[in-house]
Amino acid sequence: MTKLYCLSAGEVTTGIKNLDFSAEEYIFQILERIEKIDVKINAFTTVNKNCALNTARSIDKKIRDEEKNIGPLAGVAIGIKDNICTRGLKTTCASKMLEEYVPPYDATVVKKLKDSDAIIIGKLNLDEFAMGSTTEYSRHGSTRNPWNIDCVPGGSSGGSAASVAASECAVSLGSDTGGSVRCPASFCSVVGLKPTYGCVSRFGLISYANSLEQIGPMGKTVSDVVLVMNSIAGMDDNDQTTIFGVPNYRVQPKKNIRVGLVKELVEGADDEISKCIYNAMDLFAKSDCKCEEISMKSIEYALASYYTIATAEASSNLARYDNIRYGFDSSPDTYEMNTYFAKVRSNFGEEVKRRIIIGSYVLSSGYYGKYYMKAQKIRSLLKQEITSLYKKYDVLITPTMPVLPFKFGEKIDDPLKMYNIDVDTVLANLTGIPAISIPAGFSKGLPIGLQIMANESQEQTLFDAASLFESTANVQRSPEL
Amino acid sequence: MVSNDEIKHLGWLSRLELADGEITRYASQIKEIIGYLDKLDSISLAEIEPLHSKKEFSELRKDNAVSFGADVLGLANKRKDGFVKGPRMV
Repeated sequence: MTKLYCLSAGEVTTGIKNLDFSAEEYIFQILERIEKIDVKINAFTTVNKNCALNTARSIDKKIRDEEKNIGPLAGVAIGIKDNICTRGLKTTCASKMLEEYVPPYDATVVKKLKDSDAIIIGKLNLDEFAMGSTTEYSRHGSTRNPWNIDCVPGGSSGGSAASVAASECAVSLGSDTGGSVRCPASFCSVVGLKPTYGCVSRFGLISYANSLEQIGPMGKTVSDVVLVMNSIAGMDDNDQTTIFGVPNYRVQPKKNIRVGLVKELVEGADDEISKCIYNAMDLFAKSDCKCEEISMKSIEYALASYYTIATAEASSNLARYDNIRYGFDSSPDTYEMNTYFAKVRSNFGEEVKRRIIIGSYVLSSGYYGKYYMKAQKIRSLLKQEITSLYKKYDVLITPTMPVLPFKFGEKIDDPLKMYNIDVDTVLANLTGIPAISIPAGFSKGLPIGLQIMANESQEQTLFDAASLFESTANVQRSPEL
Repeated sequence: MVSNDEIKHLGWLSRLELADGEITRYASQIKEIIGYLDKLDSISLAEIEPLHSKKEFSELRKDNAVSFGADVLGLANKRKDGFVKGPRMV
């Protein structure tokens, strides 16, 4: 029997449209795969079994009836990070605070995917409220890395990356506030994109840090990521930060790209990772690209700026969880208002509480100028520096992560050590530019990701460079499970 | 310096009930994290303007009241006569 669950999104939709196999057969295999594999990986928080099968049958009927409006993602199983609202399907943010929350509406991206005839196969695990880099901070338990189940899959979109690597779905959506799509993409050897700020609607994404985050697709290939982007990108009246543009991205490996390698970030990575990134630069050079090492002076302040702004916005955003309008069962009867709120809000997890307190600290009277305002100025400085670099280079390359996937529990007791692993990814969020992580190689059997960053709204340049690298590097995507 | 009292106060401002063990643990961890954020002091930024939104106020959509039905009200655990029931004010 053909392993339909191993197919890329492009292959799935072509096969279904050509009647090589039905959407129902494919979804049935995907559900069987999830049942068999997810006990090991724990990528899913909810599986949308019945609804997925019904949708598959209705797509098959549309194709049999030769209807004209068959969507570009017809039949493709897509997993959705569990902080993106899905009508009628639990959206928990991996938190007790939302453990029973069933949204009465679809996020814009989910609506667009449904309009493209994609099939929502389920909701995917994450660090609580997307705060973390390992998926260890989930109320549903940690997701495991398909390449080595003793290691973390990265985070916060760990379920989104692991499910694709483990062939439990063809593609997925994650959200990226400081690297939350790219980190797990790197750790699980899949492709993950953080689009330009405003390129994809955030309506229905449960907020953590609004000025930094974007929803982004993950897949086994650049081509699959492009396919999803063509469905989800574009203006949305419900998100005023979206920018004008009708997505029409293509896969066209281009040569003669001008590539700048950010020296500080390569030198700061572990040796095996630096070596792999220099090898990646050699591959670009062999494809007639002009490659140079460059230096970014202000990059050393990026992480401090990021954690100031992200925690400040988190402390404000999470103030809304009072357990009154929705939440878990805890009666407000007999309680005075403030006492009740403090009591129920103590059910936030360890990392969420830590970030709320740090955010309250940096916004406090007397500290606002010292931390928050300076962090916003660093953001300006980074933007100036990066704008001037993009006059000379089409793309900048760095490692996605400075370390290999590590064992569970290795960094969880040392939050600063954990924050430090985001050092390569936060730049793209602070400056709003698009960035992609693409599999670049392995060391000790564990994946290494290459990060490629392009200037604002230059997604096509990013895809050109990424598909060129993908075609020359040819790195394995899915492990045997 | 981040003291236990400061963490307790921030916890109260954020409406988070913290156990004594949590206060001590957070004080030590957050002291280290804030120490790292102090890196922002080591660069001169007097001439730099902070990054801000490019949108003009006039460009923003008017927030109209969104109507909602029983499906939204049904999300609340405690309801009475079509209202969401909360804790007492005093």
